Amino acid sequence: MESTAGRGEKIYPLRRIYFYLTEGCNLACRHCWIDPSYQHADKVYPSLPLNLFRSIIDQAIPLGLTNIKLTGGEPFLHPQIFEILELIRSKKLKLEIETNGVLCTPELVSSIARCEMPMISVSIDGADAKTHEWIRGVPGCFEDTLKGLSYLVEADLKPQIIMTLMKKNRDQIEKMVRLGESMGADSIKLNILQPMARGDSMHKEGEGLSVQELMDIGKWIEEILAKSTSIKILYDLPLAFMPLSCMFGDEGSGCGVCKIQEILGVLADGSYALCGIGRNIPELTFGHAAYDNLEDIWRNSEVLRQIRNGLPNRLKGICGKCLMKNICRGSCIAQNYYRNKDLWAPFWYCDEAYREGIFPEGRYV
Amino acid sequence: MMHECSLPTINPQVVCREEFDGWAILFDPDSGKAFGINPVAVRIWKNLDGKTKKEDILQELKSSFSEVPENIESDFVDFVRDLVEKGFAGYEV
Ligand code: SF4
Repeated sequence: MESTAGRGEKIYPLRRIYFYLTEGCNLACRHCWIDPSYQHADKVYPSLPLNLFRSIIDQAIPLGLTNIKLTGGEPFLHPQIFEILELIRSKKLKLEIETNGVLCTPELVSSIARCEMPMISVSIDGADAKTHEWIRGVPGCFEDTLKGLSYLVEADLKPQIIMTLMKKNRDQIEKMVRLGESMGADSIKLNILQPMARGDSMHKEGEGLSVQELMDIGKWIEEILAKSTSIKILYDLPLAFMPLSCMFGDEGSGCGVCKIQEILGVLADGSYALCGIGRNIPELTFGHAAYDNLEDIWRNSEVLRQIRNGLPNRLKGICGKCLMKNICRGSCIAQNYYRNKDLWAPFWYCDEAYREGIFPEGRYV
Repeated sequence: MMHECSLPTINPQVVCREEFDGWAILFDPDSGKAFGINPVAVRIWKNLDGKTKKEDILQELKSSFSEVPENIESDFVDFVRDLVEKGFAGYEV
């Protein structure tokens, strides 16, 4: 629970840190919103130094840290990934990992399995090699990813598959569900293509799906696909487009409930940032783990303070009118800033839906 | 604390927007607070009119919903207390 600081502001616990561990990635995905450099045998990019990782964790635990997310680039590219996992285990922090699965080995999986409640998501964007590799940019990666996924299933880590929807794979959703079933995945999360970095180029080139198409897909999932499978399907639309039971029900997944006020990002170069967006938007980074005290950054960073004090009441446009704004908080502040250079700008998807007259009527005032 | 015998009445400013699946959003335009309630809670909300008794509401819930939980009475008390705490319902003075 947050408490109150001397100047009358709430003090938020720092519950989660998202570590963007590597500047490079072993895949070259067309839609990536981080835009890391492509790393291969001849070219290696920097990773977050282990001593900085350790120092950040040590400073963050007294501030309330309970959860770590390892992402990238590609977290398994980090040359000291085993030491990082061991540190997380020894501190009893809950672990979440986002990976492309290519570098997953049985040794790595058993190291992950020793951590507290590990939750792993593996990105697969096509149900066949042709589609997946067209999106992910590296021949042969489909088979490697499936192998990595199978190791995670064998270790009973209940991996989630993440699929980003776009024109190229929109007809493969059902096949992906069947693939997930046959592989033993626990759930499938369907993300919408975000118009940031490479995803922005894809949107501009017409490779994304329209708001109406995405809404139709949501309806089809709810009414038909979800009933045909035992695998959980999580569709990541903004909360105004989700059933209330998903947010407020006993069996809801807490879908989309934004915890931005409890999260900090750390980039591979050691900078603190709102999230991975800091790689492309320098004004959303604030300080560096090598020189700055984490508590000072967490309490006093101007951007973080603005977000804490301004959310959700300063949100503009449809987000300002939305009945979900207290829990959704504009869906993704980083995305909103990227597009408009304004922290309070509305989320693009809801903004488009509102302009097109298809934003759910009962969900705004 | 919930009063022993009487029930609060809904705050008339609060808007209840029902959705196609029986759930509803309660929304206070003054504070901007909003939250979702399930179909059973919607029925309770509609009965907090200052006249209907708790026993009658519970009876109606049991006869209207096939899957009313066993501990419906304590859920009822918690829900009503929560409404009062949020300012969505209150006792007449
Ligand atoms: S309008 Fe804004 S606050 Fe409402 S669901 Fe969409 S992104 Fe979230």
